[in-house]
Amino acid sequence: MRTWLSVARYHLLQRLNYLVLPWAVLAFAFAVNLAIFASLHASGAGTGGSRYYTGSVATIFIFWFIAGLLTTTRSLPFGLALGVTRRTYYLGSVGLGTALAVAYGLGLTLLQVIERASSGWGLNMHFFRVPYILDGPWYLTWLSAFVGLALLYCYAMWFGLVYRRWDLLGLLSFIAVQVVVIGAGALAATWSHGWHSIDHFFTTISAAGLTGVLAGITAALVVGGLSTVRRLTV
Amino acid sequence: MTQTISCHGVARRYGSHLAVDQVSFEVHGPSVTGLLGRNGAGKTTLLRLLAGQELPSAGQVRVLGGDPAGADALARQIVLVREDQAFPDFKVGDALRAAGWSYPRWDHKLADALVSDFDLPSSRQVKKLSRGMRSALGIVIGLAAQAPVTLFDEPYAGLDATARRLFYDRLLADYTEHPRTVVVSTHLIDEIADLLERVLVIDRGHIALDAPADGLRGSATAVSGPAPAVAVFVSGRTTWEHRTVGPLASATVADMLDATDQARARQLHLSVAPLSLQEVLVHATRPDRAHQAERVGS
Amino acid sequence: MPEEPGLDDNAPLFAQVAQRLSEQVAEGQLAEGGRAPSANELAAFHRINPATAAKGLNVLIDEGLLEKRRGLGMFVAPGARKRLLDARREQFAARYVAPMVAEAGRLGMDLDEVVLLVRRSADVALGPRASRKT
Repeated sequence: MRTWLSVARYHLLQRLNYLVLPWAVLAFAFAVNLAIFASLHASGAGTGGSRYYTGSVATIFIFWFIAGLLTTTRSLPFGLALGVTRRTYYLGSVGLGTALAVAYGLGLTLLQVIERASSGWGLNMHFFRVPYILDGPWYLTWLSAFVGLALLYCYAMWFGLVYRRWDLLGLLSFIAVQVVVIGAGALAATWSHGWHSIDHFFTTISAAGLTGVLAGITAALVVGGLSTVRRLTV
Repeated sequence: MTQTISCHGVARRYGSHLAVDQVSFEVHGPSVTGLLGRNGAGKTTLLRLLAGQELPSAGQVRVLGGDPAGADALARQIVLVREDQAFPDFKVGDALRAAGWSYPRWDHKLADALVSDFDLPSSRQVKKLSRGMRSALGIVIGLAAQAPVTLFDEPYAGLDATARRLFYDRLLADYTEHPRTVVVSTHLIDEIADLLERVLVIDRGHIALDAPADGLRGSATAVSGPAPAVAVFVSGRTTWEHRTVGPLASATVADMLDATDQARARQLHLSVAPLSLQEVLVHATRPDRAHQAERVGS
Repeated sequence: MPEEPGLDDNAPLFAQVAQRLSEQVAEGQLAEGGRAPSANELAAFHRINPATAAKGLNVLIDEGLLEKRRGLGMFVAPGARKRLLDARREQFAARYVAPMVAEAGRLGMDLDEVVLLVRRSADVALGPRASRKT
């Protein structure tokens, strides 16, 4: 446990990547959206009372993906030179990403609460609320945001490891395999006329249920990354 | 003395290239061992294997009784200072802080003193450091970590002669105060020769020589003078080299000359000079040498 | 290590350390009963491995020229100086006289010339009265 902490502390020395930029990027997107909405209101166009969702909250998710990527690319060589095993480095990094995902998810939730209370920042703009995904009671928003962030982070970590271990060719193969698997799955669904069940599954599943599925995928990604890091050389 | 490092039949293959092949040796600590060899001989790969940063394709690497890549408790007893260490985007001070958290015996005072000695700018980004400064940073980490197994891979890249002298002096001082197992790979052999107790020479992936440094220094002698006299003197001895120019000749005998030999040489008007460790090893790793491992008991 | 007459540059490092120390004892620079440098001090001074320095000291301990006093350190043994000087006396002929005579022979000098040179040298080094003793 102590070694995981030293890995986390090591990453946090790059404050910019982990603590500042995710929010800076989000703030920028938010400011741009706000400016657009404000000018719409000012020009009298207004929104006619309906809500507008921007979806730009995705920026923080994208940036968290990048953070995960950096963990297993730029930061990895020196990290492994600091007297920890590959397993510890990996799990410590996952731990950090996950812990921050919890905190950041909470941050997004709080902002969503403020947004609701202020009727979309007085402009009916819904930045922090995304239908079905970041919606409903605050704890579900928190859960979804947390799982979403963690999943992207862990997915990116695995990408980084594949690239480190098998270079560009390996990376392309990794992507190709995923495309093939999904494609094969789609094909299987079509042949077995399973689209109904899949459609049914997605429409009946609750947001919480979907989050559970994503959490399962995240766990699988962590296991995948662990298997790749085992024989990684620096 | 306990067996600190041991390799049995270790090999590391990269595609079709065998960087390290059938390497077996033991290092007993505390001691200072020189890992010597030409460029591309396999020194770096071997050190990475010892540190657990590389994984062997065959054979067993054991450091302090365990697999260096296996457990955290073992990993933090080993430090490897690499010539090509890649750092993330942070400052010199951050790198030292991170090292301080990772190595349980980290010596803050020593780190500060070394940073001052080498004039390292703590607040500069590591990626903006010159080659020499990066090497200095590596040296600071390697020495201040106080790890029971301390490995240096050509730590002097970009360091001028004065800075190198500083490194050898600080290494000696710290080693004297806190003896541990040190392995240094270098091709500036003569500079560090007097600090070495043992020499491991790696040539094209194989261990070409494994001997105490004492036995190697002066183990060969250059004899020069009038050609006939040289011929007389070297007859019956293993001779590595024999060159003539006009009436003069110069030969290298694989012997250490005792007082009698030296007197005889003087009688024959020959001048004799012992070969330095570097010269002995250049011979040991010359391109046409066959792959025979010479092992000398300690 | 710089070359000096008699210093065997060809010898292993630890032997060179031992030789240098014994010369210091013979020449009185290290007094009998006085402290001798420790292995670590020698290592730092000569910039060599402490194990090598320790080996050199052990050579002198084995020859009885140095003794280790527990808790106090390394000391020059009583009588060490005399023993070293006696040993050098015995080697004087082989080390200095024989080569000198051989070289004189090579140069075609006769014995009288050599003796004259020895006297002159003695005048300078030992003082006029010393050379008149014989």
